Amino acid sequence: MFRAFSDFLSARFPVEKMNFNAMVAKKEVPVHKMSWAYYLGGLSLFFLIVQVVTGLMLLFYYEPTVSDAHASVEFITKHVSGGALIRNMHSWSASAMIFCVMAHMLTAFAMKAFERPRELIWVTGVIMLLLTFTFGFTGYLLPWNQIAVNATKVGLQSIEEIGTFLPQSLSTLPRLIRETIQGEASVGQATLSRFYALHVVVLPLLMFAVLALHLFSIQLHGMSKGVDSEVRKTEKFFPDFMIKDLTLWGVVFLVLFIVALCLPFESFFSYPLSEPYNPLGSTPEGIKPEWYFYFLYYPLEMLPFWVVFLVTNAAVLVLLLAPWIFRGTSRRTLRVLAVVITAYLVLMTVFGEQIYYIVKGGQ
Amino acid sequence: MESFLFIGLPYISIGLFLFGTIARFRSSLYSISSQSSQFLEHRALRWGSTAWHIGIILILLAHIAVVLAPGLWTGLMSNKTILLVTESTGIALSLLCLIGILVLAVRRLVFSKVQAVTTNMDLVVLGLLFVQVGLGLAVALKHKWGAAWATGTVVPYLWSILTLKPRAELVTEMPLLVKAHVVGGFAFIALIPFSRLIHMLTAPVHYLLREPQLVVWSNLSRTREAVIAQAYDSRRFFLRGFVATGAGATMLAVGVMDKLVRFFQGPKLSKEQEAALMEEKLIRIKSTVEQRELEYERLKNDYIYVCRVSDLDARVGRYFTDFEMRPALAFRDEDGLPLLISAKCTHLGCTIANELSADGKILCPCHISYFDIKTGQPNEGSPAKSPLPHLDWVIFDSQGNLLAQRNSSGVTIETKDLALLLQQGSLYIVKNLDKRV
Ligand code: HEM
Ligand code: FES
Repeated sequence: MFRAFSDFLSARFPVEKMNFNAMVAKKEVPVHKMSWAYYLGGLSLFFLIVQVVTGLMLLFYYEPTVSDAHASVEFITKHVSGGALIRNMHSWSASAMIFCVMAHMLTAFAMKAFERPRELIWVTGVIMLLLTFTFGFTGYLLPWNQIAVNATKVGLQSIEEIGTFLPQSLSTLPRLIRETIQGEASVGQATLSRFYALHVVVLPLLMFAVLALHLFSIQLHGMSKGVDSEVRKTEKFFPDFMIKDLTLWGVVFLVLFIVALCLPFESFFSYPLSEPYNPLGSTPEGIKPEWYFYFLYYPLEMLPFWVVFLVTNAAVLVLLLAPWIFRGTSRRTLRVLAVVITAYLVLMTVFGEQIYYIVKGGQ
Repeated sequence: MESFLFIGLPYISIGLFLFGTIARFRSSLYSISSQSSQFLEHRALRWGSTAWHIGIILILLAHIAVVLAPGLWTGLMSNKTILLVTESTGIALSLLCLIGILVLAVRRLVFSKVQAVTTNMDLVVLGLLFVQVGLGLAVALKHKWGAAWATGTVVPYLWSILTLKPRAELVTEMPLLVKAHVVGGFAFIALIPFSRLIHMLTAPVHYLLREPQLVVWSNLSRTREAVIAQAYDSRRFFLRGFVATGAGATMLAVGVMDKLVRFFQGPKLSKEQEAALMEEKLIRIKSTVEQRELEYERLKNDYIYVCRVSDLDARVGRYFTDFEMRPALAFRDEDGLPLLISAKCTHLGCTIANELSADGKILCPCHISYFDIKTGQPNEGSPAKSPLPHLDWVIFDSQGNLLAQRNSSGVTIETKDLALLLQQGSLYIVKNLDKRV
């Protein structure tokens, strides 16, 4: 038992490869028609760096209390020089990061990059995907505006829905979980404090730890070949691939900068949604989560809760165990699967609302 | 003397420049260049020349920009960060020039091969360039913020010369260093056609755009030089890239520094802005205080006042907060008595809107659930499945006598005077009715 475990570890962390020469100087990146996918991980990293830098800058002014949060965010956008730019960059880059991480995962899946001995790279990747979503969810609440608080309420309430499908003795458990997350009976100061702590301290620390493992293992094992056929051509990771990677970062930064300069993220919210949260008024119309939760949100609207709940959990499980489940699957098949999943994600994200109206239209 | 230096000399220089240039272009098309001496000595040339050219080209471009677009320039320089960055870049560049020119001068004086092809004019030009750049640097150091004040003094003077209405008085009062720099500048203009400086005019066109060209002895066995010349050529491409990248990077640095520094400085607000902000803050703090007071009230009291019975409306519900701090709505029922119903949607907890539809329903806007306020039941097929609960209430008169109540066993009316109840009764919600009454 112990032997098996230590064998597993030593195959994943080969000590003889832990030196600069093997990890950087000798690393080669395959060149083939899926090579573009090798840039997605780096791009995710780039956006993470942007998030960290702009996030720290926002921290200089943000105040995490129910009475001041919205005012302090407004102060940043209206009065602090460059404040609107920094805030827009943080919002845009958050979306871009989630997009990149999802695309990165889909391509890694299609390229069977989780093949032995890269299982841990994959698992840490899935964990980071979940962390990234949690980043999005907790960050969304911080400006304390109408859409944020109400959408968060709705999101958290769905935990409680699970209660109706549990046996009587357990049926209060989900409520307990929700109130533990919220810190009180309804979304309020305690919730804000907790989300704030998660968003700016806990999640980053977790992310850095997991990312370190992810990147370290990647350098150890090198790039997976990515295609079924023989890889004929490769290029050096350092400096050839790295320079291209950095060039891409430069271009992406420029685009991000210009978009953030010209387009406030909030311009997509209709009127009362970006107003400060009003605990006594009614909930305004148009409460929706961010676009990256649509693939979960619209099914929740249309299907019985337990279906969505079970499918989601099964999906996360399958993702975590993919290296073992798809051990013998060919890259061709994996590619088809990835395309199907992508099609679903795109469909629900872009046309979710229309589909919702078609399905619900009859009533 | 002054009028000669600042009116005569400029026109003489410009005249010499124009005629000299034309004459030189006509007479000897092939000598219009800096005669390359790279094959005689290349190392010092590489370093000296690179440093000199990067520095002087950027500095000259900046000078030209000031003269051509003083308005734009002043606008830019009124930003303190840009001014600061421009000045320090200028100083750094002129230092670079000086170092470069020293290397070039030493090269001409020390290497015998190069010495042989060095004319007196070359040395004069080098010496003058050194003095002129040195003067510029001295001006920058001694009379700070030249980038800003030049537009009000030297630039109008230059324009007065160019538009043939010379106004020497614009510069005669300037400090000596500045005047010397101006005179030196005109001396140069005069020298351009008669020295290797002529390549200023031709180089930008030919030098950068021509096909790669090797400068080798006609003796082809000298391949070493050929290789070096090749390297020199690729260096020119590098230079081009370097200048472009450098310019881009400088602009980016200015922008980023400007924003960054001020981001951390915090905004400088006027008194009015500050007052408006404070007012806004106070409003929000007050509403938080109200919210906290509601909570406190509910923890401490067994009855919570909602409103007077006569204030109730049948169509538009009144929001209030129940003992669990959830929203609820108060309507007037058909019999005139209160009807209190939770306003927290049983689907996902949105707050329900307070307007009653014609068929007696209230709407949750989040995912469209209609609830019948009589029964609390959601309509068929709505996302909400369970009914909204009704809330218990009591009505007291002004002396605190119980007039009516609703509890688990239904509504009981304790008074005979129903009209009085409806007019003067006050509506309360109750923490736990069974225990109290
Ligand atoms: C914050 C999130 C993430 C960051 C910053 C990140 C970063 C990176 C980087 C820089 C690489 C190397 C370049 C590349 O292959 O693209 C990489 C590779 C990889 N990542 Fe991620 N990643 C993240 C999330 C994920 C996720 C969500 C998954 C999958 C579930 C994942 C799975 C992998 C795998 C399997 C590789 C190895 C690719 C190969 O060997 O061909 N990563 N990651
Ligand atoms: S929360 Fe009211 S309908 Fe969904």
